[in-house]
Amino acid sequence: MHALALPDARHYDEMLLASGAVRPHYQGFAGWLQAQSPEALARKRREADLLFRRVGITFAVYGDEAGAERLIPFDLVPRVIPAADWQRLEAGLRQRVMALNRFLADIYHEQAIVRAGVVPAEQVLTNSQYQPAMRGLTLPHGIYAHITGVDVVRASDGEFYVLEDNLRVPSGVSYMLENRKMMMRLFPELFARYAVAPVAHYPNLLLTTLRHATTVENPTVVVLTPGQYNSAYFEHAFLAQQMGVELVEGQDLFVKNDYVYLRTTAGPVRVDAIYRRIDDAFLDPLAFRADSMLGVPGLLSVYRKGHVALANAIGTGVADDKSIYPYVPEMIRFYLDEAPILANVPTWQCRKPVELDHVLQHLPELVVKEVHGAGGYGMLIGPAASQAELADFRARLRANPGNYIAQPTLSLSSCPTFVESGIAPRHIDLRPFVLTGKEICMVAGGLTRVALKAGSLVVNSSQGGGTKDTWVLEENGSSTPGDKSFLPV
Amino acid sequence: MRLHVEHTTVYRYASPVAYSVQYLRLTPRSGPRQTVIDWQLALPGPAQYCTDAWGNVLHVLTLDHPHDEISIHAHGEVETEGDGLQAEDDGLPPLLFLRETSLTGADAAIRDFAQTFQQAIVQDRQAGLGLMMEGLLERMPYEGGSTEVATCAAEAFAGGRGVCQDHTQVFVAACRSLGLPARYVSGYLYTGDSTHVASHAWAEVWLGQGWLGFDISNQRHPGMGHLKLAIGLDYLDACPIRGVRRGGGQEAMQAVARVSQADQ
Repeated sequence: MHALALPDARHYDEMLLASGAVRPHYQGFAGWLQAQSPEALARKRREADLLFRRVGITFAVYGDEAGAERLIPFDLVPRVIPAADWQRLEAGLRQRVMALNRFLADIYHEQAIVRAGVVPAEQVLTNSQYQPAMRGLTLPHGIYAHITGVDVVRASDGEFYVLEDNLRVPSGVSYMLENRKMMMRLFPELFARYAVAPVAHYPNLLLTTLRHATTVENPTVVVLTPGQYNSAYFEHAFLAQQMGVELVEGQDLFVKNDYVYLRTTAGPVRVDAIYRRIDDAFLDPLAFRADSMLGVPGLLSVYRKGHVALANAIGTGVADDKSIYPYVPEMIRFYLDEAPILANVPTWQCRKPVELDHVLQHLPELVVKEVHGAGGYGMLIGPAASQAELADFRARLRANPGNYIAQPTLSLSSCPTFVESGIAPRHIDLRPFVLTGKEICMVAGGLTRVALKAGSLVVNSSQGGGTKDTWVLEENGSSTPGDKSFLPV
Repeated sequence: MRLHVEHTTVYRYASPVAYSVQYLRLTPRSGPRQTVIDWQLALPGPAQYCTDAWGNVLHVLTLDHPHDEISIHAHGEVETEGDGLQAEDDGLPPLLFLRETSLTGADAAIRDFAQTFQQAIVQDRQAGLGLMMEGLLERMPYEGGSTEVATCAAEAFAGGRGVCQDHTQVFVAACRSLGLPARYVSGYLYTGDSTHVASHAWAEVWLGQGWLGFDISNQRHPGMGHLKLAIGLDYLDACPIRGVRRGGGQEAMQAVARVSQADQ
């Protein structure tokens, strides 16, 4: 038997109610879990570690000298999302990504949203992620963000909030796929009895999306990686292999007479669409960072002629910048004339004097983030900060208020997780991957990240986070306490 | 004034280059102050024509056969007019020219320098900027060879010497630190002295209705002797030739630009 440590009443737990009772959609799983012996589960955990290491070793064939690859801890307790919750999430994600793409098309063309006074011109035009080279460029089907990873959390009120939109080169989808494969291998009986929505078709959907990024018929698609020392290299290799397309580095491509070509043993092959996992700044050393060895010299000139498609487009970062984030609900109203389905986290923009005052007065309660920062760097978590850190941030805020936003400290939901002492609640988030092609599509679920330290809200893998399989239950798929068929035979 | 330009750049390599690609901003556009009469590029291979983010004419030259020399020749005639005191608006949003680049980042020294002119600039933007132009040349006298192409504004300012490229980048950085949109102009200068290096650079600052040029090295606003080739955020963004090559070993570059008054 497993002692399920009770969650703190101040946050929402995905499995347990404050009373300790199991939420209906988890009852089948909880029953199964209770029936497993601790020894058997410990064995399964060791098996998972071994299998992941084996996969890791396969990935490391490409070079692990730099130590860039390591295992990200995998937890056996899945994060389960009821069908109704997912339906609402999916509708909200579709709406949000559609509005973000409309925003990008708008700010690189007529700028209606600026002229209407909804988003201030300087927030767009002086943003370092706004790429002047994209102005006036018409992209196939008007799509800028083909792949979007939206970070979603469930707060103490049980509602989902969007923490961040990732429209540059979002990563993590390979963990979503590998985690599911692992769970199906370790516990096939669970999937026989629990109707979990599949995710394995993601690479197919991705390929379809990339092929739709160009108007060329039967296009040649490649995955462009910065190379083996990039922390997400195995994902680049994995996705290329799953889609059956070439994985290339910048040096494998070249520009000639307005087109991009791939060097092959059979001669140059024209490339029509590039799933690029390289940031804008490194794409073309003749247009952006001159010291970049990762990109393709001349690529921008070909792109501007419309002779190659990039996914995502250049300049999408302006839409996921933290200074633009507060405007997303307004974008949804402006472009779609709809009420936002998913809420933003309330955000104070420190560039506004009144909001700065509020932030300075309530600093110990707030999270402060750099406007252009990412990956959990350069931020202050008020409740966890020392007096010295608070004083330091006060000075920084006063010196350069425009560089910061602040948000309330959200209490992320928790999910039971294997820890040394047994099974205890740990905080989680969710990154679903939204694909925009002929239509918007996504596989149900996404990547659930978990903070493995008790009480920690930092789920980033770079800072000790782990992952879980994410189960979206299909309609009528949840088992009830009376569902005897669920019990192990 | 009708100006005749001959501009030749030759790159020679110690060993053959397998592949090279160049972005060429070597073709002027007609505008309020200049009319292109005739302009030609002579290149070692076919070049693709397009425009860049700022509307500059951009040619992309790719050579994918072994070569140990690249010779790029531009020549033509342009009619210039005006005294340069008329601000021009080309329709590009001025706010785009507030962004810093790695070559035009303002450090504390440049910001402090700019601050000393802020009051004068607030009172009368054009006159105040004129004072800042004077002050900059005093702080950074012209000295050929004192900096390199990759020298950034802060380094050049700290060194206290520079050429037109450095003057322009420091001035642009100083203006942006005061919240004034400013940009880099690459072009040619006719001085009447044909031995003088004719490739030149100056700054343009947004004055509210249009862009006004500031030629810091020559302490003046651009006049009939100034022929504009391209604009950008900094030298790298506007420079006449920017290239990448595979192989080739040591590179030797020779550039000659001559501007003369054309026979009418």
